[in-house]
Amino acid sequence: MIVPIGPIHPALKEPVRLKLQTEGERVVKAEIEFGYVHRGIEKIIEGQTWQKGIYLSERVCGICSYEHTQTFAETIEKISEVDVPPRAQFLRVITNELDRIQSHLLANSTFFKSMDHETLFMRVLELREYAMDAIELLTGNRVNMGWNVVGGVRMDADERHFEPILENIKKIEDEFETTRALFAEGPALALRCKGIGVMTKKEAIKGRAVGPIGRASNVKEDYRVGHYTYDDYFDFKVIRRKEGDNYARTLTRFDEIPESISLIRQAIENIPDGEVRTPVDLKSGYAMRKNEAPRGEVTYMIETNGTLIKNISIRTPSISNMDSCAKYMIRDVPTVADAVSTYASCDPCVACAERVAITNEHGKTTIKDFFEVK
Amino acid sequence: MLDAIKDVVRKSSIHVCIVNCGGCNGCDVECVALLSPRYDLEQYGIYVHNNPREADVLLLTGAVTEQWVDNLKRIYDKAPEPKIAVAVGNCPVSGDVFNQEGGHVHAPASNFIPVAASIPGCPPRPSEILEAIIAVGPQAIADRGREQK
Repeated sequence: MIVPIGPIHPALKEPVRLKLQTEGERVVKAEIEFGYVHRGIEKIIEGQTWQKGIYLSERVCGICSYEHTQTFAETIEKISEVDVPPRAQFLRVITNELDRIQSHLLANSTFFKSMDHETLFMRVLELREYAMDAIELLTGNRVNMGWNVVGGVRMDADERHFEPILENIKKIEDEFETTRALFAEGPALALRCKGIGVMTKKEAIKGRAVGPIGRASNVKEDYRVGHYTYDDYFDFKVIRRKEGDNYARTLTRFDEIPESISLIRQAIENIPDGEVRTPVDLKSGYAMRKNEAPRGEVTYMIETNGTLIKNISIRTPSISNMDSCAKYMIRDVPTVADAVSTYASCDPCVACAERVAITNEHGKTTIKDFFEVK
Repeated sequence: MLDAIKDVVRKSSIHVCIVNCGGCNGCDVECVALLSPRYDLEQYGIYVHNNPREADVLLLTGAVTEQWVDNLKRIYDKAPEPKIAVAVGNCPVSGDVFNQEGGHVHAPASNFIPVAASIPGCPPRPSEILEAIIAVGPQAIADRGREQK
């Protein structure tokens, strides 16, 4: 029997259709149908200036909107051979890590909601509001920050901003241990997530799982290692786990939060003086850059002709995570309810994933089977 | 008399369904933030079910994409009367940045279904969304209930 879930469903926040092939309660196979959120952003950016391009790239995804603008700016900087001032790099790190904290907390709260654990859902969302406060204090906005420009960041920050940020992350840290322990040591929760939705390392590499989802299956890629700012100025530990189940994925995201907090502290302590923005003389050329968004690597490939963007291609982490989720994680989960929580544990972001829409020339419908297309 | 009783009942329990018809997620995230203890939607008698079949208020987010042209009307028809649709964010109001050359959107959403109120912003703050639902929701639902007779 085939059980369709979505596009509008109590368990899903975004429009996507899950098709589960079941035998009794057991889920044998799963398929994900995309195509509900394709807006054609890459096509709109073509032929625009970078000022318009960076505004649009921020609206690829609302949850990890920050990393998209940073990668866009860094790609244009790479083409133009501009070095960003160190102070701007540090400010970018602070915002990036705050964004990572709120994204991980949101992902975990959605996972707890999908398991119907209201207490943890509420506690985690409460912690997230402190991160949102810090972001709002620094940039002026909660979601789409508009903080990056090519050549640096939009404006300078000083002690008036840093002190409330430190207070807010202190509040997160105080509550964090109890919340994590509630999940990690609670027997009822552990029963529902340990050994459910297992993805081995081999499968993760084959399915190209990235970010916390890949690292929960012991894949070592973290694109913050190799990024010039993180390599030159910061120390942090890449969190990896071996189990590859729902429990490991959620704990990986939890454990990355203290690392992000320590990165913010390092940045605020050692921030150098100087300019926050350099003038950029835009050159023509092609460049590619990869960065670690909260969900994994995000890749921008941009070609410019001196003033305008000729071509842009965006690759987001969600597409490979959701693909490997449908192929390997949901396969053989015991119940349909577990399939939904497994889907939530892979931190899906449909707005990110919808980069291409393939339409049938005879009708208006999108071709359904995504796996046939590759 | 019956109307008065119905109004009281309808005003004190509003069921909300978030319909993302092709947006960037930003507005949906702010709607989820409404559930957090800080804003606590449920103290006003508002429940987010995300199920169109028991919804009184449909929160529309996102510019209407190709797939939603037919489906938006279908989802709206599934909700029981009396019902209202509220557009959250710039996208369902005007299409925002996506409504230009190269974009595949069919904004505004009011071309497809009647929209009772709109909350502009990219994205609007959670407090603004909350304020709009509380200010517009009860009376609009009551009015629509009378229209249906």
